Amino acid sequence: MIRRLDPSALQGLAGALLFFAGWEALSRSGLVNAVMLPAPSTVVRSAWALLQVGELQSHLWASLGRALHGFAWGAGLGVLLGVAMARLPRLNGFTYPLVQMFRAIPALAFVPLAVFWFGIGETSKVFLIAWGVFFPTWVNTFIGVRDTSPLLARAGASLGARGWRMLAFVVLPGALPFIIAGLRISLSVALMILVAAELTGALFGVGYLIQMSQLVFRVDQMFVGLLVLGIMGFGTDLLFNHLIGRLLPWYGAERRQQQAARRSTP
Amino acid sequence: MRAATAVAVSRSRTAAAPPRIVCEGVRHAYRSASGQETLALADVSLSFADGAFVCLLGPSGCGKTTLLNMIAGFLQPGAGTVAVDGRPVEGPSPDRGVVFQDYSLFPWLTVRGNVQFGLRMAGVPPRERRRVADDCLDRVGLAAAGGRYPFELSGGMKQRVAIARALAPGPRVLLMDEPFAALDALTRTSLQNDLLELHRRDAKTVVFVTHNIAEAIYLADRVVVMSPHPGRVIEDITVDIPRPRRRTAAAFNELYERLAAAIGVNALE
Ligand SMILES: Nc1ncnc2c1ncn2[C@@H]1O[C@H](COP(=O)(O)OP(=O)(O)O)[C@@H](O)[C@H]1O
Ligand SMILES: [Mg+2]
Repeated sequence: MIRRLDPSALQGLAGALLFFAGWEALSRSGLVNAVMLPAPSTVVRSAWALLQVGELQSHLWASLGRALHGFAWGAGLGVLLGVAMARLPRLNGFTYPLVQMFRAIPALAFVPLAVFWFGIGETSKVFLIAWGVFFPTWVNTFIGVRDTSPLLARAGASLGARGWRMLAFVVLPGALPFIIAGLRISLSVALMILVAAELTGALFGVGYLIQMSQLVFRVDQMFVGLLVLGIMGFGTDLLFNHLIGRLLPWYGAERRQQQAARRSTP
Repeated sequence: MRAATAVAVSRSRTAAAPPRIVCEGVRHAYRSASGQETLALADVSLSFADGAFVCLLGPSGCGKTTLLNMIAGFLQPGAGTVAVDGRPVEGPSPDRGVVFQDYSLFPWLTVRGNVQFGLRMAGVPPRERRRVADDCLDRVGLAAAGGRYPFELSGGMKQRVAIARALAPGPRVLLMDEPFAALDALTRTSLQNDLLELHRRDAKTVVFVTHNIAEAIYLADRVVVMSPHPGRVIEDITVDIPRPRRRTAAAFNELYERLAAAIGVNALE
């Protein structure tokens, strides 16, 4: 992953090593209660134990499945409505204030309501994640489609693109950078809401693992949960960027060029 | 020799065929948000012969882009008519290829994808459009670049792709808005020569906007000089200098002086 070990990467690595070494030392020193603050080595051992009995995997897959399920719904509807509203002024007039109003309410505030409506089963969790994911996807898609480059639209029109062809071959690809940015934000939102939803009750899931570990006073396992969430967030972001790089080779390059241009013109 | 006969041919065509593009009494005003009107074009009447290479020359703000956008169909005249092949222009059409100053290539498509775009919109089957696209790329000297993306190209190469893209659907008219203004001098000269060669081979009607006097003289059969406030035509000159033209020739410099005087010393760079 690390192509060049430049000084800043080395510094970052050194900083992380120092942090974990200090933590390890602190937990072992007896200055703090090692049960309340288990050492990193203890956490890794607990994680290993959970892996061996297969419990950690079940939690992980349950959480990932939910996140993906909710993400798919929220992102799908967000893109759909974003495109529709940006292209249909009438629809936009009717719905824009409404969507903005709902967007202003933090998605986490809906957790109790969703549990009340849909119970503590899968439906409430998928609903909540979809709800949270919808808005960032929607707003980015909306802006991307609405602010289509007039120059590219002209180029397309002069080459015969009209109606749905203009939408499919010029407007949507042109809006992709925005949509991708929205999806990327949505990914982190999905994980955040996932945990909040799982904390309210579930039979499996990383959030549930943390919640249960608290009840049985296993702080080491709570840390395992946090570790897994960190890896999940980092991993999905990495995977997402990798996929974008593979599927849309022009995307990253364009952005890098624009950033370079911005840097060179103060 | 060859160039001289080409000029003769285009003359005889002028006499025989009706003009390809006719603008009559064209007027256009832009209204700003505060309600103030800018008269971008006031009563412009021009006709462009089939196969002619015409340059619209004038300082910035004289309405060159506005006129070109009307012929392209991006803009409707406030008054007057613009007709191509006898039919009023109602919107953009692949019959009229457009090349923009800033290239306007689709960044998400490869070079070949960009060039195929118009054919794809026209429903040309994949194999045929690939053949035509590669042929067009070959004509602008980019046969080997089909698989690359626009961000991997220099400005000159991007503009070559843009020209190939405009040519691919087989338009009869090519509209170019300061296409070489952003390029360095060497690249510009090379593109000018290639454009002349393309024009010599298939004699499309070219309307080429520029604010560069030497470029206009080098390229055009005819130079239409425009002036701002309000945008209007102040000179319409046929360029008789035999091709290939040399920028150091006496006739070239004579015409340069004349055009510079028409535009006004202030407009000179
Ligand atoms: N979209 C616009 N809104 C308002 N004024 C415009 C707009 N486009 C052009 N103008 C004005 O119209 C005049 C002619 O512009 P333009 O056709 O772009 O000239 P040129 O291409 O010769 O530089 C200028 O005074 C310009 O400021
Ligand atoms: Mg202009």
